[in-house]
This record gives sequence, structure tokens and C-alpha cells, in this order.
Amino acid sequence: MLRFLVRRLLSAIPVLAVVSVVTFLIIWIVPGDVTAEIAGPDATPAQIVRLRQELGLERPLLERAMVWYGHLLHGDLGRSYLLNRSVAAAVIERLPVTLSLVALGLLLSVVMGMLLGILAAVRHNTWIDQAATSVALLGLSVPDFWFGLLLIVFFGVQLHWLPTGGFVPLTRDPVGWLRSMTLPSLTLAFTQMGVLARMTRSSMLDVLGQDYIRTARAKGMQAWVVIFRHALLNALIPIVTMVGILTGVLLGGAVVVESVFSLPGVGRLIIGAIQRRDFPIIQGGLLITAATFVFVNIAVDILYGWLDPRVRDDR
Amino acid sequence: MDHSNRTSRRNLLAGTALAALAAALPKGAAAAAGGEIIFVQGSNPPSLDAMSTSSQASRNINMNIYETLYGFSEHTAPIPILAETVVVSDDGLTYRFPLRKGVKFHNLKEMTAKDVKASLERYRKVGATSNLLEAVKSIDITGDYEVTLTMHQATPTFLESFCSPRAPAVIIPEEDALAEAGKTSIIGTGPYKYVEYVPDSHVKLTRFAEYSQDTRMPDIDGFGGRKTAYLDTVTFRIMPEPGAQTAALEAGEVHIVEEISVPAGKRMEKNPNIKVYKNMPWAMLTLIMNLDVAPTNNPKFREAVQVALNMEEVMALATAGFYELDHGWQYKGTPYYAGDIGKSYYNQHDVARAKKLLAEAGYKGEEFSILTDSNYTEHNKAAVVIAGNLKAVGINAVINQVDWPTALKIRLQPTGWHGWTLMLGIEPYVGPVALVSTFTGKRPLFVKNDRELDVLYQELVIGKTVAARKVTFAKIQKRLYEFFGIIKLGDTGQMQAARSSVEGYRPFRFPRLYNVRVKA
Repeated sequence: MLRFLVRRLLSAIPVLAVVSVVTFLIIWIVPGDVTAEIAGPDATPAQIVRLRQELGLERPLLERAMVWYGHLLHGDLGRSYLLNRSVAAAVIERLPVTLSLVALGLLLSVVMGMLLGILAAVRHNTWIDQAATSVALLGLSVPDFWFGLLLIVFFGVQLHWLPTGGFVPLTRDPVGWLRSMTLPSLTLAFTQMGVLARMTRSSMLDVLGQDYIRTARAKGMQAWVVIFRHALLNALIPIVTMVGILTGVLLGGAVVVESVFSLPGVGRLIIGAIQRRDFPIIQGGLLITAATFVFVNIAVDILYGWLDPRVRDDR
Repeated sequence: MDHSNRTSRRNLLAGTALAALAAALPKGAAAAAGGEIIFVQGSNPPSLDAMSTSSQASRNINMNIYETLYGFSEHTAPIPILAETVVVSDDGLTYRFPLRKGVKFHNLKEMTAKDVKASLERYRKVGATSNLLEAVKSIDITGDYEVTLTMHQATPTFLESFCSPRAPAVIIPEEDALAEAGKTSIIGTGPYKYVEYVPDSHVKLTRFAEYSQDTRMPDIDGFGGRKTAYLDTVTFRIMPEPGAQTAALEAGEVHIVEEISVPAGKRMEKNPNIKVYKNMPWAMLTLIMNLDVAPTNNPKFREAVQVALNMEEVMALATAGFYELDHGWQYKGTPYYAGDIGKSYYNQHDVARAKKLLAEAGYKGEEFSILTDSNYTEHNKAAVVIAGNLKAVGINAVINQVDWPTALKIRLQPTGWHGWTLMLGIEPYVGPVALVSTFTGKRPLFVKNDRELDVLYQELVIGKTVAARKVTFAKIQKRLYEFFGIIKLGDTGQMQAARSSVEGYRPFRFPRLYNVRVKA
């Protein structure tokens, strides 16, 4: 197990290296730079050149890359041009918001998606199946920003049950945190649960047709025991794989949801940095986000082995 | 130049009279302090070091924290704020600023001439518009509560430039003056003091209980006047999504939204819990030409563009109907407004004449590429209507829409664009010198210099009185309507909204959250 873990961790290094190189090249290709934000629309070319020199943007690509990687090897992701703080500090202070959002979104999408999938599979070819599939399809089709605004109008403006936006840190006020995260995580979960619901449904349908399930039923076992202990556990393997992929999708979706609900997360940080060409934040932010995704997938691989001893033994 | 002596004497007399009037006001006029207000804006302040940024998002917050020696009044006339007055020498070479005594910084230290000198010296180094002190040769302490600025040469427009709020020359404690840009301790003399800044979330300020109120006036006036911090806390919430901003306002979670869409404003006007404010004029929407490339290097072609445009159509679509048609290159009602000059050329939409001018220009269907950006709706919507107007007269207009940083990169290139849509907000507000400086110098907005405009700009800068400068500015406006390097499309506004519980809010160039109260 330890050898497997070390091997998976080592395999993350080339992945992150590729991410950083691609990010670097994209930034190089994209026109415009942060001097536009600093100097404004009526700046002269001389002012822009002076600013570019001050910020090191006039240096050749290779030199800039070497400086950046040199700092990275020392654990330094650089300093934001605009935020007056280090990239690591800027990302880390926003990470709890994004991780809260993604974790809650993942939890809700797994719970809602699996329940819908199980319901659809158990009541296969009935109106319940059709209704569950329709809800899943609706989640897949509805744009997250629109669904988020709908929730804001209904639960925030009309009913006054939940805040329309903003973030309350968990450490300051746990109830406030839960209230501030409910609508955003529901938005994120609703638009992603469809994939899981469909996956669970087809997985469960495969398993429910197996002989051992029929045997379990023939033994007179209670229906819920058959479904949750015998069928679902065996249907979980493809679902867990999906959860790993879904984490990446949720990290991406968090960008939009953070904007709609005014959450100070990593997604908004990176989008703002792209809009203003704050290159160190783009590079560092994407690297940390990619690292999060890679490590979640390693965790999923470990879980995979735990769920299926055959996979673990193969390793 | 004794006019300034007269001005200062007049200021003093006016101040005394107003102070007497203020004292005569019923005590009940001053309501009890307390409460919280939440103001919503769309973007993060890049910095809370007021000197080093010209961003509106920063200015919104900073002008509640910091103050300047002089600033603009409601009608864009220079008024003293931290200074008692200004005494200008007869030769125009020295500006002596006696300071108000007993003014305290947020760290409770009293402001003296040392702080003022250190602040202005810092501004020369890190100020985002440090050129406003270019004319100053030296800054000297001439008393515990007095600084004197000595000019390289007489610069009659200095005081107007010095008042510019674009990146204001605020006064900070001497101890902060060595700090690099963006690294001060955010201490000013304003009615609210800084508490915390959580990027992408909020900036929180609290009432400065020891605020040294300027009692020379009965009320606030522009950037100065009698400021009273009624509220305990002021929170600037950063919300990028317009729909979420209006939802938060309607839900009563926030009190004021900096800018709402016009349709949202029209809908909210019917809501008794919300009051909609119209901040007009806010900016000028313009079409800037590239004088360095064909066909826009031909004045006849540029004139054809001016004649072809239907400003009403452009402005109506670009601003969702919230606009004013005006040809003036200064806002109506301001000291330098130049009357009807150029009016006959504005909003002609004369297809036949435009075609005739194109023929005279020898136009052969060359591409007219309109550079615009996706970040500012007014820019890209105006570009679409302009292209339509120009196609109707036979101009091969195409739109190049990119994001804002890319547009700014392209516009700095000598080629690759012919027209560029841009809103000028603060430049026309600050006055003719600030506006016309963008049309002259080493790199005018329209790429290539116009000799006549350059000469007129020099005449404007050395004009000794407002009246003399007004005459010069009228000539500049006339020249702009002969030269067509930049076309004014119209004035745009800023629609704001607040809960009806908010009292005393008056829209201005930044949200003045002092003299504002929130009913329980």
C-alpha cells in the first residue's frame, strides 16, 4: 500500500510540471498585461515600457520561466502584482472558501445523485424512474449561474430564509457558515448530481440483475438490506471513480458559483487575475488547484482499493 | 497674483458666515450616531494606499478614509479641506498653505506641516498621477502648521490639478511616508478609519470618534465641507454579479448599490423600500480615431464619420436609455462649459453629406476597424451601433472586440485599429487641463499630435484666470470639432439604488458615506 501511495504521489510531479508549463505558455501567448490595469487607458507607451521593466515583463520567456521555477523549488510561488501579498498567502486565505464549497457541493451531489439513481433503478420503468431521470437531466441542463440566481430570488429575496451571498468563516460562526454555504453548494450540487444519478442508475441496474441479488431476495432478506448492503456496495466502484472526476468539475464550477454568491474563493481570485493579467496569481493559483485535483484523485484511488480488494491485490 | 489673496479672504469670510449659520442651526439637526451601512461595489480596490491608485473602486473607499489639502466643491471649484486657505504670491511662484490646527490622524497624532511635506514628497515618488506635482520645485515647511510649495514657473492651473481626486494627494502621517506604494498603514484624517480588508469579500471601516470636523461650512460640499460620521461601521461589500447585487438590496441585506442596470433601476423605482438615484453626468462616451493610419489619417474621412453618426441611436442602445445628448467637452453646469461651440456638428446623422465627404476624401472602401472590449457594455454596444451607422454611408466598418487588457495593448500599437470606443469619466470631471492633456503630449489618445491642439494646450496651462482659460478651452472645443480626432457620442450616467431607510445619501464622484444615516 505504501509503495502504491509513493508511486501515485511521484506520478503527480510530471502532471503538475505539465500544468505549470502549459500555464506559462498560455500566459505568454495571451495579449495584454497587468500594466493596463495599473497605468489606465490613457497611459503612454513609454509609461507602459517603464512599468513592464519594473515588473520584469520585458525579460525573455526562458529567463522568466527559470526565475519562476527557481523560486518554485524553494517553495515560493511569487508575489501578486496587484494584491500586495504573496501568491501562496492569497490562495491559502481563499482556499477554505473554495474547499468548503466543493466539499459541501460534492456531499450534496453524491447524496442527491445516488438517491435519485437508486430510486430510478429500484423503480425501473415506472413513473418514479421517469421523474428521477427528468430531475437528473434538469440538473445537467440548467446553467449554474441561472439556477443560483433563482435560488437567491426564492430563498433570499422572497422568503428571507438564507443570505443572498457572502461568506461567514466556519471558525467565526458555524451556523452562519452553514447558512452562507447552503445555496452556493446546492447550486453546485444540483448541476452536477445528474451525472452521478445516471451513473448510479445504470450501475445499480447491472447489479440488481445479478444472480446473487435474486438469491438474497429469495432468502427473504429485507429490500433495503438487499439494495444498500448487497447491490449498492458493488455498484459503488464506478461511482467512486466518477466522484474523483466530479471533484475537478466542481472545482471548475466553483468559479461561477463564487461569483454569483460573492464568495471570496480561489476561483474568483483566478478569474480576477486572468481579467487583469496578474500572471503570478494565475500561475500559482492554477498550480495549487491542479495539485488539489491530483491529490483528490489519489485519495479516490486509495478508496477504490479499499472498496475492491481485487484492485488492491493487483497493486 | 493678488486674486488668490482675494480668494483666500473671500473664503475666510464665507467660512465665517457659514460657520455662524451652522451654529444657528437647531441642535436636533444632528442625529444620534450609530448603525451600520453596507455599500456594494463590483470590484476589489486594487489598493487602499490612495496616492498609488487611480481606480474608482479604491477611490470609493479611500475618500471616506483620507483627506487632501484642497479638493473640488460640488461645482468643481477648488475649496480648502485640510488647509485653512492658500495664499499665492503675486508672481505665481509660491503657494502658501496654512493648515487647519487640531486635525487628528486615525492614530490620534495631530497633523502638522511635517506630515504634509512628507506626504507630498511621497506623492511625487509613488503617486499614480504624480505629474500633478511636476510644476512644484520644492515643498518647504514654513511654520508648524504651514507648508509652502515653490513652482519652477508660474502655473495658474496648479490648484485645479492639485484638487484632482483621480489619485488624490492625500495627507498621511509622516511615519508612513517612506512606505512603498501599497504598503502604508492606511491611516488618514477622514471621518471613517480602516478596520479590515478581505479581498473579494469586503472592506470594513469604523467611525473615527476624534474626527476633526471642518466647521467652516454648514454641510458637505464636493470632497470637503462639514463631514459627520453618523454610522458606527461602513462595510464595502465586493459583489461582482449584478443580479446578486440587486437581489441583496431587495432582500434588505445591503443598503446601497454603486451601480445597477437601467432595467433593474426602472423595476426598482416601483419598490417603496428602494430609492433609485441618477448620477448624471458620470462619463463621456467617445470614439477615438487613429490618426496614424489610412483612412483615419484623412480629416475628410473623419469628418464623414462625425457627420454619419446618429448619437441618439448610439447612446440609447449603449446606455439602455440612460444618457444625455450634449456636444460639450466639459460637463454642463461646470465652470468651463463652452456653450454652443461645435453643436452644429454634433448628432447630424446626415447620410448624403457623409457620402459626399467620403467621396471628397477619396475613400475606396478600406477597412475601418473599431476596437472595443467585452468588459464595458457601453463600449461594445456603442461599437455595434457605430458600425451600423457607418455601413449605412458606405464605410467598410468591422468590429474587433477583445477583453480590456488586450484592447489597451492594441490601442498602444500604431496600426491594427482605426476607431476605439472609450468612456472618459474622471478626466472631463477634473477639468480641461486633465482632459486636453490626453489629447496632447508624447502620445495623444489619437496616436498622432495635432499641432494646433498642442499650442492651445500650452495656452490653457498658462491662462492666468478661470475666465482666460475658459476662452482658451472654447478654442480647443472648436478645434476638436474641426479636427475630428475624437468624437463625443454623449454623456452617460450612473444609476444607483439604496434602501429607503438610508437618509442623506447624495450621489457624487464617490459614495460619501458620512452625513448619511440609516433609519432603524
